[in-house]
Amino acid sequence: MSQSASTAATTRLSSVRQLKGRWWVTALFSLFLAVAAWMLLNLIIGGQCQGECVVGTLAQTLRVATPIAFAAFCGVLCERSGVVDIGIEGKMLMAAMVAYAVNLFAFQALKGSMGEQAAGDLSRWLAVILGALSAVILAALHAVVSIEFKTNQIITGTVVNILALGLTGFLYRQFLAENLPAGPGTFPIFNVPVLSQIPVIGPIFFQQKPLTYMMLISALLIHYVLFYTPWGLRTRAVGEHPRAADTLGIGVYRIRYVNVLAGGLIAGLAGVWFTIEGVDVFNPMMTNGLGFIGLAAMIFGKWNPFGALIGALIFGLGTSVTSTVSIFRPDIPSQIPQMLPYLLTIIVLTGVVGRAVPPAADGEPYVK
Amino acid sequence: MRKLHVSLSALVVAATLLAACAGGGSSGKLKVGLVTDTGGVNDKSFNQSAWEGVQKAAKEFNFDAKFIESKQPTDYEKNIDQFATEKYDVILTVGFLMGDATAAKALQYPNIKFAIIDNAYFPTKGAKVCDDTKKDCYSDGGLKNVTSLMFQEDQVGFLAGVVAAGVSKTGTVCTVAGMEIPPVVRYVTGYESGAKWMNPNAKTLHVYIPSFVDPTKGKEVGNSMIDQGCDVVFGAGGNTGNGGLLAAKEKGLAAIGVDVDQYNTYPEVKDALVTSAMKNVDVAVYEYLKSVNSKTEKAGIVTANINNNGIGLAPYHDWNSKVSDAVKAKVKEATDGLIKGTIQTGYKP
Repeated sequence: MSQSASTAATTRLSSVRQLKGRWWVTALFSLFLAVAAWMLLNLIIGGQCQGECVVGTLAQTLRVATPIAFAAFCGVLCERSGVVDIGIEGKMLMAAMVAYAVNLFAFQALKGSMGEQAAGDLSRWLAVILGALSAVILAALHAVVSIEFKTNQIITGTVVNILALGLTGFLYRQFLAENLPAGPGTFPIFNVPVLSQIPVIGPIFFQQKPLTYMMLISALLIHYVLFYTPWGLRTRAVGEHPRAADTLGIGVYRIRYVNVLAGGLIAGLAGVWFTIEGVDVFNPMMTNGLGFIGLAAMIFGKWNPFGALIGALIFGLGTSVTSTVSIFRPDIPSQIPQMLPYLLTIIVLTGVVGRAVPPAADGEPYVK
Repeated sequence: MRKLHVSLSALVVAATLLAACAGGGSSGKLKVGLVTDTGGVNDKSFNQSAWEGVQKAAKEFNFDAKFIESKQPTDYEKNIDQFATEKYDVILTVGFLMGDATAAKALQYPNIKFAIIDNAYFPTKGAKVCDDTKKDCYSDGGLKNVTSLMFQEDQVGFLAGVVAAGVSKTGTVCTVAGMEIPPVVRYVTGYESGAKWMNPNAKTLHVYIPSFVDPTKGKEVGNSMIDQGCDVVFGAGGNTGNGGLLAAKEKGLAAIGVDVDQYNTYPEVKDALVTSAMKNVDVAVYEYLKSVNSKTEKAGIVTANINNNGIGLAPYHDWNSKVSDAVKAKVKEATDGLIKGTIQTGYKP
């Protein structure tokens, strides 16, 4: 068993480029599928969505995909190092609540001394940082219990989800349910100079809010770290065959700890998106299962950040097309277009991806 | 052996009864419980309003009041049970979606008084609680302890539509709606009829979203409709609808709130908020509890409408100067027409 795992690991490590080559075929194919689906849908809505409407739908796709992509990146980082993390949803929820509260109360404390504009900016960024850190705390719990004490990682992840649900529900009821002051609201749209003026591309990619840009940048960054740095090589080695990595002097635990904590930080950004970038309200369970959709996007992307991003974008496209269809065809029962994103996810997962092989040591605690 | 079982269970029953007596007699205060819908007590909308009504009555008449939030529809019966086992005298349930749970529990606990907001019971073919052989569901159908607090949302929706079409520059107005259930449909239908009454060329858009707690979705749907030229967004769906209001605010357009004066409950969007289509849930709840206090409450349907001021538009606040006198006159005309019955909202149950 150990022999075959080791061979598999070697093959996978040496064939990163091959993998990427095949990856582009999949990406192009899914893009083609998406365009075909879009044309079909435009037929359904009688060609009423042209020009600006298409651009608007695509810009919305990117916005909706942001938290899903962050969640998927968290999954990529953790699982590449061999730790399964199904507690992403819980971390998102926690970060969403903490960020909401920080945004609200920091603004109250600051606006007297520095004016509403500056106080709003400061409290929003403070909320992003503290929200993400709250998710890191939950990630640390997951890391300690599953790496140090070697429990089943699925169970630990579930514990994180339930803990976050209970904790946010309780804190919300105690402190955030009644008589709240007005907050500073969400991030304003940030137009990237020059680039935002490009027709079509500009409104889709460069007239967005900060976390959406951060999501795109972190896709690049994670890809770079995983495939072009020693750290990334070690991470993948630990995820494929920790024993082999250990004999070569790689600190398996250290690698896993850092990856799980970094994943927590990114899952935190996914959560922060809901209350600082998406809307300025919080309600329990507002993450609506997008953390799990993120895991699906990760599998779709075969544990590659760009693949995960495309997976998230496909789900985002499904969601934004849903609202476009509902607008133009109010005669279709609203439940039918609502099924679309999920239907799309199933079709894509079963039809396009093919066999998705997780890292060989994914989910297995490493005993020295 | 069997005998032992019987006597043991008899003993247990007796003990329980004794315990119950001891518990019930100690406090003289009436206990009022509120079970919220999934929107929760801080939905800036009608659950919140219901809780405010309860609090006001509790203070005035010296009741014990408590709320339980339903996290998901499967919690409805469980939450009612929780109040029932704690010997609450009155249980209020908020929302159409709690209709079945409330009816089932009202039959199970005939000594507890129930009031449900937004759901009226009518005899229906094949219905378990109250089939079509019954005259009505309350006196005849067994729901003798249930009061339904209803609102004619279509009327206030109509007035909101008049205002919307009046302030719209593009002639397109839209609704970010919650679940497609009767109270929401009444709002949407009324709003669209009102807009068309004000401006026969007005274009109306709406999207129903199957959740009341998904503001991010509501916002994106709002954005999509804004891309289609909508410049007055009506958010009719609790927290989901709030997302629509936020979309309008971020684009610098106009929005119309729902259920309560959202200028107060959702001040973040006040720049965009022209008015709100209010149903005075707090007043209805308060009035009901007042009647409970004086032991004059009746089972059946109590309807709040434009004639008894149970519904109405909120003040224009910051928009007062931006809503022209002509529009205000039209709102007055529509109000009179609705009261006299010369204007129909287009809603058919």
